[in-house]
Order: sequence, then structure tokens, then C-alpha cells
Amino acid sequence: MTELGPQAALLLVAWGTLVALDLVSVPQAMLSRPIVAGTVAGWLAGDLEAGMRVGVLLELFALDVLPIGAVRYPDYGPATVIGAALAAGSPWELTLGLSTGLALVVAVLGGWTLQMVRRLNARAIQRRAAALAAGESGAIRRLQYGGLARDAARGVLLSSLGLLAAAGVAQWVRLDRQTAVGLTLVAIGTAVAAAAGGAVRSAGRGARLRWLVAGAAVGLLLAVLR
Amino acid sequence: MNGGWRALLRLLAVQGTWNYERMLGVGMGYAAEPLLDDLKTVDPARHTEAVVRSTDFFNCNPNLAGLALGATVRAEYEEVPGAQIDRLRTALCSPLGALGDELFWAGLVPALVGLAIVGLAFGLGWWAVAALLVVYNLIRFGTAVWALRTGFDAGMRVGSAIGTSWVPRAVVRVGPMAGASVGLAIPVAAGWYLRGFGLGGAVGALAVAAVGAAIGRWFGTALTSVRFALLAMALLLLFRWAGL
Repeated sequence: MTELGPQAALLLVAWGTLVALDLVSVPQAMLSRPIVAGTVAGWLAGDLEAGMRVGVLLELFALDVLPIGAVRYPDYGPATVIGAALAAGSPWELTLGLSTGLALVVAVLGGWTLQMVRRLNARAIQRRAAALAAGESGAIRRLQYGGLARDAARGVLLSSLGLLAAAGVAQWVRLDRQTAVGLTLVAIGTAVAAAAGGAVRSAGRGARLRWLVAGAAVGLLLAVLR
Repeated sequence: MNGGWRALLRLLAVQGTWNYERMLGVGMGYAAEPLLDDLKTVDPARHTEAVVRSTDFFNCNPNLAGLALGATVRAEYEEVPGAQIDRLRTALCSPLGALGDELFWAGLVPALVGLAIVGLAFGLGWWAVAALLVVYNLIRFGTAVWALRTGFDAGMRVGSAIGTSWVPRAVVRVGPMAGASVGLAIPVAAGWYLRGFGLGGAVGALAVAAVGAAIGRWFGTALTSVRFALLAMALLLLFRWAGL
């Protein structure tokens, strides 16, 4: 992990917060997709390549998720920011596994905090039920801004604690080369499994499955020929 | 439609108060506020009723929420009975959820993300990510503008407006595109990562992938991909610690 100055650390927390907000609350502009979150985080941490590597790998995990209705899912956005920060400044072959491991833990925590925010939103609405029943526009605005503030606070907390955890891992976890490479290979393998599983599940049995198989065949050819 | 742009911007935060009781309800009320402003001067009592209705339970894909918002606001101005507006809101939840989720979450997003992964793997760098953001947000914002206008123009007839619109046709086309794109991206990404590890490393990672895919099919949701990944990493660390 590159030694981060206060400015870079603050920028990473700010980016992690924006990315956390983007997942559900606002603006849902796909900033929270790991491929985007990781690339920008890598740039902020001074290692674009590491950010992209972490971003694409976590994107493969994210392709396993279909965020519909009230389904519960990990929050990969801030997690990718943390993973990219941890991977920055070292050869990605040695850091990708450890970074992905930490990012997955943060992603699970992020998913849990999202449930907390949703419950707190429900409580806030219950507290203002009378004002809502009276049609008070001010109450609606306060609830809305409160919901956004709670999600932003979640993002700040998740990003800050994640960054501290990344600093701790960088400081205290020492892996020999073989173990570090092994972790990276396991991370790649499990990410490919996640994406493939998600793709097959989403494809069903119709035209989409046929196109998935055709795409995979072309992709395999490209991967082998390159 | 006065307040249209303000409502459109507020729709970007329609899930800002997402919760398990009213779901998008309060966010819809927040987005409806600027559109209902004119009603306040014409008929204050009706305005209050409309505001109350606008915050009731509602759920759909956020990118198509404008259809319901526009239609219900129009209905409020046309003094359609409140119970009928409630029924319209309820009736719109499922179709707007299903169409929007198929179009965006299961279609457009994986299609564009897959292409961005391929672009990154082929050395496009930043450009691949920027293209993903620009294309997605142009389509998404264009859809939001269309949805709000169409909903407002159609009012209570919004159901047939949706049925004859481009949305159902796009849903049919975007699914196969997403399948092809993700199918292309997975082996390309795997190749991008594994090129530097030699044959042994590649075989090892692909073996882990095969075990992961098999376990995923076997255990279903009991062992998610994240749990499997963390378990596999923990096992590797344990084996290495034991000197294996």
C-alpha cells in the first residue's frame, strides 16, 4: 500500500462516500460499479493499474448480483475503493488476493450497514407519520434529506474504517511470495466462478443463454489468441 | 408541466429514503412536490390530499419511476378520484419494476459493464470506464425525461402508453446483448489476469473457478460467491500456515 498523505486519504474517503451514496440513494450513475470505483480510487492512490485490476476483479463478483426489489447484496463500491488503496504501490500479482479478501469483507459489512440505514429510514418515517398524514411538504423534505444524510454517514464510516483496516493489513500482514500469488490466483478463480454463475443464472434457457455461450466462445478465442 | 426539471432532478434521489415499509414512497413524494405546486393555489385541499397520496407505499425500478410520477400528478390535476389514483399507483408497481429491472439491472448495466471490462483488458484504460459512464447516463437520463413526459401526457392511460412504447421491445433486445457481452468479458478478463502466471497458475485459478461454479450450483444461496471466495482464501492461508 502506498503511504497516503492526509489529502489522498481524505479524497479516498470522499470518493468512497460518493460511491456508497450512488449505490441506492443518489444519483445511481454507476459510480458504485467496482470497475468505475476502483479505477478512480487507483488514480487517487497514485496507482491506476492497481485500481483497474482490483476494480475489474470485484466487478466480476458484482456481476453475480441482481439488485432488484428488496434483495440484500454486498456493497462493492466503497469496498473496491479500499481494495484499490491497499493494492496501490505494489505489484498487483502479489497484492490482488489480499486486497480482494479485505474488499469482500468490507463489501459484506457495507451490505449490512445498508440494511441498518433502511431500518433507520423506516423509524424516521414512523416518527413523522402524523406530519406525512397531514401532507406537510416540510416533513417530506426533512425525511428525504435525513435519509441521504444517513447514507452519506454510512459511506464516511465504511470508507474511513476500511481505509484504517487497509493500513493495518499493510502494516502487519506479511505474506511470502508463494502465498501472496496463491491468494491472487484464488481471488481470480473465485471471481470468474461468481461472474459465470451469475451470468448463467440470469441467462435462463432462452435466447440470452445462446448469446451468452456465443459471447463466451468468442471471448475464449480472444483470450487464447492474445 | 411546471417544475418538470426540478422533479426530474429529484427523481435521481427517488431512493433516498428507501425503506421496507414505504419503499420509494417518500422519495416519490419528494419528487412530486414541485409538480404539485400549482395545485396549491388552485385547490389547497386537493393539494394536501395529493401530497399525502404521493408519499404512500410505492416501489418500482427508479429509472422508470417518472412514468408513475407523471401519470399520478396529471390525474391529480384532472381531479380523478383519490381511490382510483391509489389503484393506479398499485397497479404500476409490478410492471414498472419488472420492465425497469430487466431493461437496466439485468440488461443495460451488465451489457455495458461487460464491454468496459473487455475495453480495459484490451488496453483502453480510462476511456473504457468513461465510455461506460457516458453511455449509461445518457440512456438513463434520456429515459427519465421520456418517462416523466410520457407519464404526464398519458395520465390514467399510462398503462397502454407503456405497452405501446419502446420499452417492452428494448427489454427483449437488451437481454441477449447483455448475455453476449458478459460471456465475452469473463474469459477475456480471466486471460488478462492469468497471462502473467504461466500454465500452472492459470490451471490452478481455473480449477478454483470450476469448483466455485459447481459449489454455487450445488449449494445455491446457502454458499454465496463471496462466502466461497473468503472460505477458499482462508483455507489457502491455513494450508500455507500448516506448511502444505
